Amino acid sequence: MMGAVRAENLGKRYRQGEKEVVALEGFTFAFPQGSTAVVGPSGSGKTTLLNLLAGFDLPTEGGVYLGEVALHRLSEDERAEVRLRHMGFVFQQWNLIPTLTAWENVAFPLFLAGLPPRARKERALDLLEKVGVLERAHHLPSRLSGGEQQRVALARALALDPPILFADEPTGNLDAESREQVASLLFHAGQERILVLVTHDLELAARAERILYLKGGRLVRQEVPGPSR
Amino acid sequence: MELFHLVLRNLLARPVRSFLTLLGVVIATTSMVLFLSFGEGLRRSLAQELSRVGPAIQIVPEGMEGLGFSGYPEITPEEYRRAVAAGKDLGVKRITPTLFLVRGGFDPQTSFFFQGLPEGVAPDLLYPGIKPQAGRLLPSEEGAIVGAKVAKRSQLALGNPLRLSPRVELRVEGILEESGGLADNLIFVPLKPLQEVLGTENYTALLVALNPGQKAEEVARALEARLPGLKAQTTGDVMRFAERALRISDLVRFGISLVALVVGGLLVANTVMMSVYERTREFGVMRALGAKRGFIFRLVVLEALLLASFGGLLGLALGSAVSQAINLYTLGQVGLALSAVTFRLSLFALLVALGLGLSAGLLPAYHASRIPVVEALGRV
Ligand SMILES: Nc1ncnc2c1ncn2[C@@H]1O[C@H](COP(=O)(O)OP(=O)(O)O)[C@@H](O)[C@H]1O
Ligand SMILES: [Mg+2]
Repeated sequence: MMGAVRAENLGKRYRQGEKEVVALEGFTFAFPQGSTAVVGPSGSGKTTLLNLLAGFDLPTEGGVYLGEVALHRLSEDERAEVRLRHMGFVFQQWNLIPTLTAWENVAFPLFLAGLPPRARKERALDLLEKVGVLERAHHLPSRLSGGEQQRVALARALALDPPILFADEPTGNLDAESREQVASLLFHAGQERILVLVTHDLELAARAERILYLKGGRLVRQEVPGPSR
Repeated sequence: MELFHLVLRNLLARPVRSFLTLLGVVIATTSMVLFLSFGEGLRRSLAQELSRVGPAIQIVPEGMEGLGFSGYPEITPEEYRRAVAAGKDLGVKRITPTLFLVRGGFDPQTSFFFQGLPEGVAPDLLYPGIKPQAGRLLPSEEGAIVGAKVAKRSQLALGNPLRLSPRVELRVEGILEESGGLADNLIFVPLKPLQEVLGTENYTALLVALNPGQKAEEVARALEARLPGLKAQTTGDVMRFAERALRISDLVRFGISLVALVVGGLLVANTVMMSVYERTREFGVMRALGAKRGFIFRLVVLEALLLASFGGLLGLALGSAVSQAINLYTLGQVGLALSAVTFRLSLFALLVALGLGLSAGLLPAYHASRIPVVEALGRV
């Protein structure tokens, strides 16, 4: 497969009129198999980093490599194809397609990948069962609780069984119980994948195998948490 | 869940807005179909009338091409004699002089169309197959044979007087059976009293009947060559002339309906634009999941196309229904089906609706597919 996700001297500057904002600078790290949490205060560049790793945006410096592939050198549509085949995403809330039911949301990547309708539905229902929201399969997102929505989003992220999983504040707006459910499902799925979890929730981050600390757009510290899981 | 399905879901998620937009397209298409159906109807009835009118060639004064019903008679007896001589040389079957006179206003309800016939000529010579339902077919010197619709409309019976002028009065001597053609709306009278009313010895037109095997076009050109100042037009010529006039009026009517079409197009564009704006984050999510830009583009264009084509179909159906209703009315009034929704008109209307949807959808679609993923994702 693609091996690790490597960021090399990754940097992103935004120009805002006269002044320049350095959102990320000199970030070098190879994300290995297993879960890596990226933490830091608000505005420290976490989302910027994730946007670059996923190819949503292009760096102003350095690059992102998936094995041999230089993601930042690919075109917009080529990056979309890479995301479809190799990456799954769970964002903060509001990331389900509001006009599609739960199972249809899960089936959406399968549809993009060209699977036949029957296979899509089977796989989608299967995944919903795994994340424990099968009984909500035919509900629209607006009828689901925040925790249920995030579990559907996780099922969708896993639809094409991608080797890479990205999550940006996946438990941001959830109550304690839902947070626990989503977190354990996420880390379970991250065990045999490259999971990059961006959060400012230190408790959540502590469950990851590695923690990266960002501050002012720079990687200031890495640590491997103790066996407190 | 195919692309079409996604689009439909989105339209159904906002039913009122989609319905109102659809209504706009329906009204635009209906009005266009109706406007254009009048031209098609005229074409159709013209072709039918001309195929029922006997003579293969009509000789009329130059500049009076078309159906010179209402023109002042300008063909002199001398010209008539020369035409007869020319006709003899060319071996035509018969040349019949005729004269048209309209009494009454522009309203076909109250107008009388008189056609003058030479002595001894019955109307079935010009309109083969017509029969009297009462009285006779050949008018006497002071008689008139009345078409079925005129008789019904004006409640004319045998023996009733018809006053052409204070001094000239004719009597109804025959009433024709309904034939479905032009003759239903005519009153056939001898030439003499008509010429007397107009104070002339001239004719409106000379009707040329051909012998079997003669070619209308060739004979017409040969007649013209020998009759300066006169025009010999074949049924084909009349059709071509009428076609040109109809084309122009088609353009005018299409121009009028263009207003409705543009409004319909703007409605679609507005709806799609709003829907794109509201769904920016949704598109961002789709792109994040791996949808390409072309996918978003197709999604939006299809939405506009779906609105326009569905609205176009409904508009076509509604237009056809109204056209039928109009025909029911005009058939009763003037005996003509004024409106026709032909196959090519239907096709044209659907293509216009589709073109409308396409042009209304392209810009929003382009816009939607170009929003940067990060920007789209950032918007809630
Ligand atoms: N599109 C943008 N234009 C200008 N500045 C931006 C933009 N996106 C992010 N930034 C800035 O970059 C820095 C990092 O932002 P972000 O990556 O969102 O941080 P975090 O996710 O850690 O809160 C912040 O100072 C933010 O204001
Ligand atoms: Mg953030």
